[in-house]
Amino acid sequence: MGLKPASPESRPDPVEVQITAGALASACEEMGAVLVRSAHSANIKERRDCSAAVFDSNGEMVMQAEHIPVHLGSMPASVAAVADREHHPGVSWFLNDPFAGGTHLPDITVVTPAFDDRGRLIGFAANRAHHADVGGRLPGSMPADSRTLAEEGVIIPPRVLDERAIAEVTSLMRQPEQRRADLRAQIAANRAGAHRLAELAALKGTEELGRAMDSVLEYAENRTRTRISEIPDGVYSASDKLEALDGDLDLKLTATVRGEDISFDFTGSSAQDSGNLNCPISVTASACYFAVRVITDPDIPASAGAYRPIEVVVPEGTLLNANAPAAVVAGNVETSSRVADLCLRAFGHALGQGTMNNVTLGNDRFTYYETLGGGQGAGPDADGPSAVHVAMSNTLNTPIEALEIEFPLRAVEYSIRRGSGGRGEHRGGDGLVREVEALEPMEFALLTERRRHRPPGAAGGEPAAAGRNLLTARGTDRPESLEPKATGSLNSGDRLRIETPGGGGYGAA
Amino acid sequence: MAPPEPEPSAPVILGVDVGGTFTDAVLIDGGRVFAGKAPTTPEDQSAGVLDAIGKVLAVAGRAPGQVTNFSHGMTVATNALLENRSADTAFVADRGFTDLVEIGRQNRASLYRLQASRPAPLVPPEKRIGSAGRNGPEGEITPLTAEDVRHVVERVDRLGVESVAVCLLHADRHPAHEAAIGAALRERFGDSLHVSLSHEVVGTFREYERAATTEVDAALSPLLSKYLGRLVKACSEAGLTEPAIMQSSGGLTSVENAAGHAALTVLSGPAGGAAAAALVSRAAGAPDLLCFDMGGTSCDVCVVEDGMVRETGGKSIGGHPLALPMVDIDTVGAGGGSIAWRDSGGALRVGPRSAGAMPGPAAYGHGGTEPTVTDANLVLGRLSDGSELAGRITLDREAAETAIARLAAELGLGIEQCAEGILRVANSEMVRALRVMTVERGLDPRRFTLLAFGGAGPLHATAIAEELGIERILVPVDGGVFSALGLAAADRRRDSVRTVLLRGEAITAAALTELIGDADEVSWDLRYRGQSFELSVSEPSGDPGRLRESFESAHESMYGYRDEDAQIELVTVRRRYIEPGVSPDLGAARFQEVEGPRSIDLEQATLFLPEGWSARGHAGGLLSISHSKAM
Repeated sequence: MGLKPASPESRPDPVEVQITAGALASACEEMGAVLVRSAHSANIKERRDCSAAVFDSNGEMVMQAEHIPVHLGSMPASVAAVADREHHPGVSWFLNDPFAGGTHLPDITVVTPAFDDRGRLIGFAANRAHHADVGGRLPGSMPADSRTLAEEGVIIPPRVLDERAIAEVTSLMRQPEQRRADLRAQIAANRAGAHRLAELAALKGTEELGRAMDSVLEYAENRTRTRISEIPDGVYSASDKLEALDGDLDLKLTATVRGEDISFDFTGSSAQDSGNLNCPISVTASACYFAVRVITDPDIPASAGAYRPIEVVVPEGTLLNANAPAAVVAGNVETSSRVADLCLRAFGHALGQGTMNNVTLGNDRFTYYETLGGGQGAGPDADGPSAVHVAMSNTLNTPIEALEIEFPLRAVEYSIRRGSGGRGEHRGGDGLVREVEALEPMEFALLTERRRHRPPGAAGGEPAAAGRNLLTARGTDRPESLEPKATGSLNSGDRLRIETPGGGGYGAA
Repeated sequence: MAPPEPEPSAPVILGVDVGGTFTDAVLIDGGRVFAGKAPTTPEDQSAGVLDAIGKVLAVAGRAPGQVTNFSHGMTVATNALLENRSADTAFVADRGFTDLVEIGRQNRASLYRLQASRPAPLVPPEKRIGSAGRNGPEGEITPLTAEDVRHVVERVDRLGVESVAVCLLHADRHPAHEAAIGAALRERFGDSLHVSLSHEVVGTFREYERAATTEVDAALSPLLSKYLGRLVKACSEAGLTEPAIMQSSGGLTSVENAAGHAALTVLSGPAGGAAAAALVSRAAGAPDLLCFDMGGTSCDVCVVEDGMVRETGGKSIGGHPLALPMVDIDTVGAGGGSIAWRDSGGALRVGPRSAGAMPGPAAYGHGGTEPTVTDANLVLGRLSDGSELAGRITLDREAAETAIARLAAELGLGIEQCAEGILRVANSEMVRALRVMTVERGLDPRRFTLLAFGGAGPLHATAIAEELGIERILVPVDGGVFSALGLAAADRRRDSVRTVLLRGEAITAAALTELIGDADEVSWDLRYRGQSFELSVSEPSGDPGRLRESFESAHESMYGYRDEDAQIELVTVRRRYIEPGVSPDLGAARFQEVEGPRSIDLEQATLFLPEGWSARGHAGGLLSISHSKAM
């Protein structure tokens, strides 16, 4: 089939499209730089848990900076949630409601309209940052056992972002000073992006900028279509288990490749979870977009044009397309990874650790949130890397020295979990071990996966070791094994040890 | 009549820079600048160095013994790091933390190429040694006994390595355990074992970056030491004085110090160019420069502010983080040899693949058939047909046209249109890098002068300046010896960087005065309590009130607000000891004013002036290029 036969006059200019794509990517990178530079919290500055993107005036995402994959496909929903409102220069919007453009509550998205010098709307700048706390029952707002959205923090439906709104929502969060500083950093980042869009409009003309944005979207679409058309037509399927609070849930995928289109149908996956593993549809779609990029061409620009050939089908009111007021905090961080895995598995990939191993520790004095790397699945030509974030996340760790200086914690071990990767012609990557000792009483929450079901290999490669969560009480040497989703308290001297899963092997050993 | 007083002998200053293809030597002798050039000898750079020196001395009519100062920039450590060559090295860390370097920051190398890996660890798992004893932020938690130290020494002995890196947690502030292990290793093995201790090499907190830097230091020092040994021997046989070595920070150090700490010289080569930029900034009276050095395969960019090269406290080189003061240089994969191609979406792309020096651009006639940036410049007449480049390559326009015609047909463009497109796309890549580089550092590019050098820099300078809104450009008339000139005139420097972590009330005048000591320059890395990134400010007075004010005003200009209620933390003190270099009189370039559009052949490069731009001679051996505003 190949490319759509484009007539020469409608074909995008091969030079302009590249230059516009570069200029828009540069605008996103600048936004990211402003955000990371001006934010206050470790989560944004040190771990870089944030993303930035620019949109056209219809609210279609033209370009995104390469930060966090889970934000990739879910940013468009945030802009869609406000695109139809009335916009004024300098008036930004913000939201975190997972059922109105958000993902999970800690991710706050700020959307700012951009105008040309005659006051015409030319597009939007948007960025998203994971805030270290958005209120709710537990410090860190990542409870392992929430059953409704309200327990997970402050719900912000799409609303105008002004000082009054900032004061109102941050007063309901822990460390409100830091939240305010981070929100202001988000506004500053968008201001830079909107300014750059206005400059491009002044340079090219507003209509021409609109056409150039269209051609970037088409360009990403064409490249994706070309690569999808190289995958043999047919039905590809996979199923897996998700480790919920009340037992396992089913994940089921039927993917269909037809010509240059691909559809992912999750019918048959579990009903809405009584815990917090639920995904809004935008998070499920985001995981699919990630997988398509992995199996097609990683160099295709991060633009919503690349999503046009992709259809995502999920029955409403189920695990992967949940309705309010379902709890969703683990959907974004855990279920999303497993959905990406499901897609990769359907196309013959060995799987990585399939979890971000979310650890939150805190009391009324501090909040510490960390995610841990593990093994990556091996491929047909290479071993899987060890001790890395494998799918929908790619945040940095908190250094041991920073951890021990800032928090009442002492690290006991931080090492590679040798032998945890699956064997095969190419070995899966190894997971890692991170063990900390509490130096004062505190609470903990763990959101982890692949503790019961091992990450599978492919093409005859062996599965990896499952992860383990262990708690050793002070003065004992008999660790107690914790569930994949666990909440509890630590006394001074208690040790929490996380052993992350490896990645599956590829090919018979 | 009495004979005139003999003039006190003026210094005769030699600078030698090793580049990818050529080794350049510059001699500054009584205000005159001489240059010499020899092919770089990759298997042993010292041979090319001595050849280039022979040539420049012959031109200047000087004997080796008359050289008073000799400075040297080299790429031995850089190349070893990029090619993953290293000495057989062991790594000692706290028990339970020996994999620190391999884990890194646990982010993956590429978001979507899932099996892409970071560079292989310099020390394999079987050569990592766990040590007993443990320090916390406040000091010792578990003691390190003599028996524990002996255990480490025995493990090192059994491994039979050439070099050892030691990095223990919190050793930046509590170095006693590292020092004990270091002393025992040095006592037992003497000169047969190189030892790098993290608190000596780096001195700042964050264990991964400190450990990785220490590992690089240990793994490369034996290699660098061998090279410098050969060089010193060759110099002494030739009757030359011992060279000073350029460090990544842009200052010179002794051969002995460089050989003992290879991590200090990883950016030795590019630092020469940055030092030259600072030199011309002062000579030309242009305090703020955006420097852009475009060669055959890549383009290096850095910033000079107020006559000083902007530095950074650390950077990743070839995937290895180096937490040391160094000139803040970014590299973009766009150069004259970058190959233009059509991607699967039908867009015109340039690089990152490069035709390099062999076969080089199609126009070189060495068998290259893919169109490059140089070919596009030739087709558009910005380089002239038949003109000779450095290295005696004669450009062949027909070959360039054939290569570009093929791509033009694929893209549905005319040949000239395609050539223009190649240049626009290449320029936009560089502009993107320069924009992000300036925004990340909170700078507005429009207030800078563009300094363009390297073989391809002056060809692209005006286009880049227009994109960035820059109105003035400086170009050295002889760009080939630019870096060597910077070396010849550089300062000698020693940096001492240490994490101190003082909070609020503990930041007293007495404490600050003691930290300043007899340093010539001091800067302080501060943050509000709770932040995890620091801002560096220089406040020489040692007055706590002024220090806080400097920090808060820097914070406000960088982040847009102050937090007057928050406690401040002094995290790191950076001390620098300086012996100033010479300031050679470079004189003004003698050059008739010309207006575009036209190309001008310089010593080692071609300058392209489009319509509306004009060039004239300027102090510091430079051409000053500006936009005629009447458009």
